[in-house]
Amino acid sequence: MCSYVLMKILESSPSRYDRGIRILSLGKLDKIYDHLASYIRQGQRVLDIGCGTGALTLRAANNKAIVKAIDINPGMLEIARQRAQKAGLEKNIEFSEKGVAELNDEPPEAFDVVMSGLCFSELSKDEIHYALNEILPKILKPGGLLLIADETRPENIFLRSLLWLLRLPLVIITYILTQTTTSAVRQLPEKVERAGFTIETVHQNTLGNFIELIAKKESDFQN
Amino acid sequence: MKYLLINIFGTLLRGFPMPCKTGLITIGNPGRDAPVFLTCNFILTVERVKRALKGLDCWLLVANSKGINVWCASTGGHLTNHSVISVLKTSGIEKLVDHRDIIVPQLSAAGIEATVIRKNTGWKILWGPVYAKYIPEYLERNHKKTSGMREVRFPVSQRIEMALMWTFPFTVIVAILTFFFWPKMLIPLVTLTFLLPLLIFISFPLYEKILGSRKTEKFSKYTVIFDFSRVPFLLWIIFLIFITVYSSISGNFSWGSIVRWGFASLVIILLVSIDLMGSTPVYKSGLHEDRLLKVILDEEKCTGCTVCVQVCPRNCYSMDTSRHIVTIPRANQCVQCGACIVACQFDALYFRSPDGKTISPDTIRRFKLNLMGKRFETKIAG
Repeated sequence: MCSYVLMKILESSPSRYDRGIRILSLGKLDKIYDHLASYIRQGQRVLDIGCGTGALTLRAANNKAIVKAIDINPGMLEIARQRAQKAGLEKNIEFSEKGVAELNDEPPEAFDVVMSGLCFSELSKDEIHYALNEILPKILKPGGLLLIADETRPENIFLRSLLWLLRLPLVIITYILTQTTTSAVRQLPEKVERAGFTIETVHQNTLGNFIELIAKKESDFQN
Repeated sequence: MKYLLINIFGTLLRGFPMPCKTGLITIGNPGRDAPVFLTCNFILTVERVKRALKGLDCWLLVANSKGINVWCASTGGHLTNHSVISVLKTSGIEKLVDHRDIIVPQLSAAGIEATVIRKNTGWKILWGPVYAKYIPEYLERNHKKTSGMREVRFPVSQRIEMALMWTFPFTVIVAILTFFFWPKMLIPLVTLTFLLPLLIFISFPLYEKILGSRKTEKFSKYTVIFDFSRVPFLLWIIFLIFITVYSSISGNFSWGSIVRWGFASLVIILLVSIDLMGSTPVYKSGLHEDRLLKVILDEEKCTGCTVCVQVCPRNCYSMDTSRHIVTIPRANQCVQCGACIVACQFDALYFRSPDGKTISPDTIRRFKLNLMGKRFETKIAG
């Protein structure tokens, strides 16, 4: 069982972020990312929103895709860049310090796949709406895929309370150490669907606090 | 009522970030040419700005600063170009007004670049006053700021607020500890913990002069407590004399109690003295090595555009109209916030460290300070 709250502690020092995330998620996140990356084919144009230290980016580049990776944290980007260099993948990756709101200058239908790991939960309601309704429909090719892995909130009240209790100590520790906390993204499948995408698969873990979502922009897409 | 509650809790716990909702807030009945303001998403700030804007018809954009106040968030890399671009594009404000002028707090200048915002969104940044209370006057003067509206100050009300920020969490910890280990001393010790920091902060003007002269000297990391503690120690000695005299007069004099009180008050004073300078808006934190940096002006590059005059919260700059460049006659007031360096679009300003190294404008724009006053870049290199 993983709590992504502690991620915040790690984020304050980007160089330790990866090891921490691996311990926190007990390796589970790696598996989820591997699974998401298995949808990516050779030569595809891929956008990674909120690439962080490059977990999804490197996997996609490993599948010989051409990746554009964006993040608003220059420290994280620097680490991702160094990791890409070490793996010899930097030729296939373009890093850019950008947020979702700054994607409007991307050419239309520029990407076969848009993916995002642990980023939507960091966005505000306005930003999620903007990304799903204004940006993604424009920059995804018809038939293109949207791959999201993120922290979410169980809809079941009992599970929600249980999760809240389990998370409380971690939330407090995180707050004391880093004075910040994560917030889960709510009703993501509904929002994705309302923006006009077709949901292919949705996986939620038993506690309902983590979601893996694969959606498609059909060729007859209507916003 | 809500305003009062938020102010009380916000003040007592202001050392901790308190995020609130980002996005657009409507004030009064704004039309299509109403002014647009921007602030951070620290709940206390938002409430105070809303109060300051009361009576005006305008729009207020709340940008994501991770719940941290404007100044700290800008120098710490939490209130950035990205937060501003995002709120401008995603809040829907572009459909509500016909103009593209946004008034942002002057203290956000260390984190926000007007040229980048302009290029990405077409919005023009106007540097507002340091304090929200000057906003009505700022509008009346047609966006012209007096030097008073540009400068941070440390008046008694703010000193009390900062003292409470330190003293409240300490007092709670002391209260819990004494409750379990030394219950009969609960009330005197809690009172002491509460009052000593207040005393230190309120008496700030008395020793401000001494601090000014010490700022230019070089200190090692380990003098964080001691470069400031001449004054707290002085207060401590006065306090010791006071309890000695008091106990002698009341006839309860005993060396044991003097030693105990002396020890307790010393611990409290030392705890509060950590980063006392960082708690003031008029000094750089003693924890931050940036306090030793000097802003250097490259006169060749300066065009006299005076953006540095507009953003400097310490009024360090003056305009030399005969040579049409700026000068830094009050460099000794500098708190190394970096706002002028970030804002200068001609790269005419940069930091120089005591060992002669240059910190380029690009580095200062990209890598912000973390809580210990380190830039990320140095960490990668190490």
